[in-house]
Amino acid sequence: MRRVGVFVCHCGTNINGVVDCEKVAKTAAGFPNVAFATDYKYMCTEPGQDLIKNAIKEHNLDRVVVASCSPRMHEPTFRACIESGGLNPYLFEMANLREQCSWVHANNKELATVKAIDLVRKAVAKVVKNEPLQKSRISITKRALVIGGGVAGIQAALDIADAGNPVTIVEKEPSIGGRMAQIDKTFPTIDCSACILGPKMVDAAKHPNIEIISYAQVEHVDGYVGNFEVTIRKKARSVDLKKCTGCGTCQEKCPTKVDSEFDMKLGKRKAIYTPFPQAVPNKPVIDRVNCTKFKTGKCGICQKVCPVDAVDYEQQDELIIEKYGAIVVATGYQQFDHSAYGEYGYGKYPDVITGLHLERLINASGPTMGKIKRPSDHKIPETVAFIQCVGSRDEAKGHAYCSRTCCMYTAKHATLVSEKIPGSKSYVFYMDVRTPGKGYEEFYKRTTDEYGAQYIRGRVSKIYEKGDKLVVRGEDSLIGRPVEVEVDMVVLAVAMEPQSDAGELARILGISVDKDKWFTEAHPKLKPVETHTAGIFLAGAAQGPKDIPDSVAQAGAAASKAIGLLSKVEMETDAMVSSVDESRCSGCLICKGICPYKAIDAKMIQERVGGKMVERQVASVNKSLCQGCGACTVACRAGCLNLLGFTNEQILAEVEAVCL
Amino acid sequence: MITEKMRTAAKDLLEKGEVTTVIGWEKGTFWYNSTPVFISKPEEVDRLVFDEFCANNLAKYLMDYRNAEGKTAVFVKGCDARGVNRLVQDYQVNRDKVFLIGIPCSGMKEAPKTAEKQDSSKLPLLKKCQECATPNPVVYDLLLGDPVSERQVPDRFSGVEAIEGKTADEKYAYWQSMHSQCIRCYACRNACPACNCRECCFDANGLNWLGKQNNVQENQMFAMTRAMHVAGRCIECGECERVCPMGLPIMEINRKILKDINELFGPQDAGMSLEDKPALGQFKLDDPEKFM
Amino acid sequence: MSLNSEALPKSQEVTAAPEASNQPWEPKIVGFACNWCTYAGADLAGLSRLQYPPSIRLIRVPCSGRTNPQFIIRAFQRGADGVLVAGCHPGDCHYSTGNYFTRRRFLLMQRLLEYMGIDPARFQARWISGSEGPKFQQVVTQMTEDIKALGPNRKMRDVE
Repeated sequence: MRRVGVFVCHCGTNINGVVDCEKVAKTAAGFPNVAFATDYKYMCTEPGQDLIKNAIKEHNLDRVVVASCSPRMHEPTFRACIESGGLNPYLFEMANLREQCSWVHANNKELATVKAIDLVRKAVAKVVKNEPLQKSRISITKRALVIGGGVAGIQAALDIADAGNPVTIVEKEPSIGGRMAQIDKTFPTIDCSACILGPKMVDAAKHPNIEIISYAQVEHVDGYVGNFEVTIRKKARSVDLKKCTGCGTCQEKCPTKVDSEFDMKLGKRKAIYTPFPQAVPNKPVIDRVNCTKFKTGKCGICQKVCPVDAVDYEQQDELIIEKYGAIVVATGYQQFDHSAYGEYGYGKYPDVITGLHLERLINASGPTMGKIKRPSDHKIPETVAFIQCVGSRDEAKGHAYCSRTCCMYTAKHATLVSEKIPGSKSYVFYMDVRTPGKGYEEFYKRTTDEYGAQYIRGRVSKIYEKGDKLVVRGEDSLIGRPVEVEVDMVVLAVAMEPQSDAGELARILGISVDKDKWFTEAHPKLKPVETHTAGIFLAGAAQGPKDIPDSVAQAGAAASKAIGLLSKVEMETDAMVSSVDESRCSGCLICKGICPYKAIDAKMIQERVGGKMVERQVASVNKSLCQGCGACTVACRAGCLNLLGFTNEQILAEVEAVCL
Repeated sequence: MITEKMRTAAKDLLEKGEVTTVIGWEKGTFWYNSTPVFISKPEEVDRLVFDEFCANNLAKYLMDYRNAEGKTAVFVKGCDARGVNRLVQDYQVNRDKVFLIGIPCSGMKEAPKTAEKQDSSKLPLLKKCQECATPNPVVYDLLLGDPVSERQVPDRFSGVEAIEGKTADEKYAYWQSMHSQCIRCYACRNACPACNCRECCFDANGLNWLGKQNNVQENQMFAMTRAMHVAGRCIECGECERVCPMGLPIMEINRKILKDINELFGPQDAGMSLEDKPALGQFKLDDPEKFM
Repeated sequence: MSLNSEALPKSQEVTAAPEASNQPWEPKIVGFACNWCTYAGADLAGLSRLQYPPSIRLIRVPCSGRTNPQFIIRAFQRGADGVLVAGCHPGDCHYSTGNYFTRRRFLLMQRLLEYMGIDPARFQARWISGSEGPKFQQVVTQMTEDIKALGPNRKMRDVE
């Protein structure tokens, strides 16, 4: 027998105006297991709560039911109240007599009262089966891992490191910097990208709390929030980082030239190379696929000329395992492969390029030393056509979404072309011009008004060669006529898409990707930097197309979540978790596949069968990871899994109380 | 003759010490019974037979030999082999501790109405064998005999459709009559390879929301619960219906769920390979949601 | 075990005031509502003062995926006239994948109940999000109407 106290709240006239609260309380007093029942005007106020606490003492209550508003409103309030009254906070239930009774059945007071009595009976039936529950605590490793060394990753690392936590940045390219390092000037201020990114890169390199592991990738992640165990593969650079001084002699003397990925294959690099002059770390890497020494065994010049003997052809990949408490994913984006738009001449016309190609042409340390020259014949283009939305907003051949940054960077490109090539003419074929940020609309206006870019609203159907020029055939939908312009170069604003290995990384980390393969946030509006996996946060374009200001802002947000997590010595986890009855579990593990949080795993236990010890597999719930959804309890046929706080017995007691 | 091959294979395995137990069939009390036998000595192999009355699905017995020393050999017909896959997928049997001897099966016969010996070729096939679509074992370590040709199976779901065609009240009356005859012997559960829980929820003492009472409502709870628990995992061996002492149409519920799963989530057969996942343990983003 | 439609469900006989016997029969619908979406949607209906028949009793569960088909059978056996299972829209589940399994399970369950002779209008599953107060009102109103037309449920009951 239990001693349940029932407290029916009038909520002023909100409940009492429709439901006869006194009658509900009187009837409740007659329910089995109820030792005390009363009604009161405002249960959630201080006198109301005192009433509960006193009743617990006076009547020796061991369970409490408050019949008032929605538990989504005041469950934490009353739980705290009975805890200070000496009871475990989980020995408590609420009956929703307001949002789901008096407010919606105002026309029928009698039946509303009947329903109220049913709801109280239901709450009493459930609370009788409530057991005291404890939150569990897990310790936290005070270190963070940032995957990706672009501007978002760097910013997140700096913020976390400034708060006093050791941070590791793992970057798969030989240098940090990401896409922003490839960009020449940034909108809307037209300041030099390297000039604003460079200092941040150096800060990250010099920060006592930041460790940069470049030319490396995350291979495997075990563990859970506060206790991740990450396997990192440090790819073989063929250069000993401890010895190398970054003098650059090896790169100078290397005889092999390879298309530079950093320069979008418009320029060359050596087989032993740093991707760009301001690389951090400024130490080279050997591209073993194209290096003569690795292909044929001959050459070896770089090793001979290295003054400190840092070149090591025997170097192998190294696997290290490190522990981290929080992980920030900032792996950025890649450009959409526009080969689907064959009508734009992909692969056929070298003068049809993408935005990132143009950035490299404009950049002073790019393949053409900052002079915009056509890739085909190195002549300076007098007319340039820009085509927006190549691969964006196109469900048929590309992605349905808008890539957010292209309108602005195309306007920026048109501005720069006009500045760098006096007398030139730019045509921009657009569908809409989207300029949502601060100063963006003004920037676009200047592009058309001051820099003379001609914006044509219409899609382009074909690009073809005419002599040494390109003819762009499109439509001007505002006048309803087809349009053809002859230009020297075409720049396509191709869509942003997630990195090709995003899906694989998601699988390794245990986070999800959406239908477009962007990493999924925990809630699209209210939790934009968390994932469904506790302890893993998102920053930058990896979560969805965005520009530099938004990436930096999101990086700061992710950092603040990581700092909050790492600032605790221990973390409290939810008390309402699943639990396995190991004596009955047959180890079929069907629950493991159902759990969205990977909280269930196999565990071997020993038992005595027929006089000898045998090992048996059972399921085991990681209480720190379990979020309490209960999907596993339904998958378990034998009923070995139960969700504390919403056990099968409790739910069925509610069903019976309501029906009978 | 398969029987000879069985005995040779079993003797070989036991003498070499490759297995410690062989599970097969032997002649039972009557000429129309062939019952399971568990042999551990080479001298006993002559008890083994394979004839048209070896209906028992031997796969389930592997659960009793999980902790045995050494490997266990078992003879499997087409349905039995899927049963073994089911048990392995549910982690109840370790595939490495089992030696499967496959026997392609052309069907088992019903027991005759009278006890005196008669020509068994005149006896009808068991109902479950008439509806069998996998006469050849899908997994085995050794195959005795040649594969039999797949038979033309009558429409798999015709029984289900016949019941679906009734009115709601007729359906209710049909199933109530079934549930009122059930004696809760649990033979269906015990024979079923998919019912392999360590302790069945209906046997558990702590789960006081499931009853052991033998009344119509509790029987209905048992029948519907077992059908939902086996949903997507049923290998259609038909043992449940065969062993039911009351002759209840248990497969008509399992087949109804199979029909719905095929219609809603795409055709799938359980127990055909170790890689397939049960229908209720997975989902597709574009699953139908017609009535929601 | 017959129940004529003028007699009240048991709880009302015990606790209702004498005037209540003038009320027409109100079906008893048991609803399993997921805490993050449907329960919130029902609360929103309350906040918006949307009125609906007092036939439904909601049982709060953390996720619609927590609802075991056995609860549905028990609800009918204990005398429910209708059962509603409601959760977040697929893709919006607070626990990311719970309602995908709900969807599969209850598609089968509904067909199985129909196969057993229960009218499909008595068991409904719906997606009701936290912002869909009007949808909650509409679902309950519609279901009450449909079940009123069918009358009290006499099938599967194990109580008077």
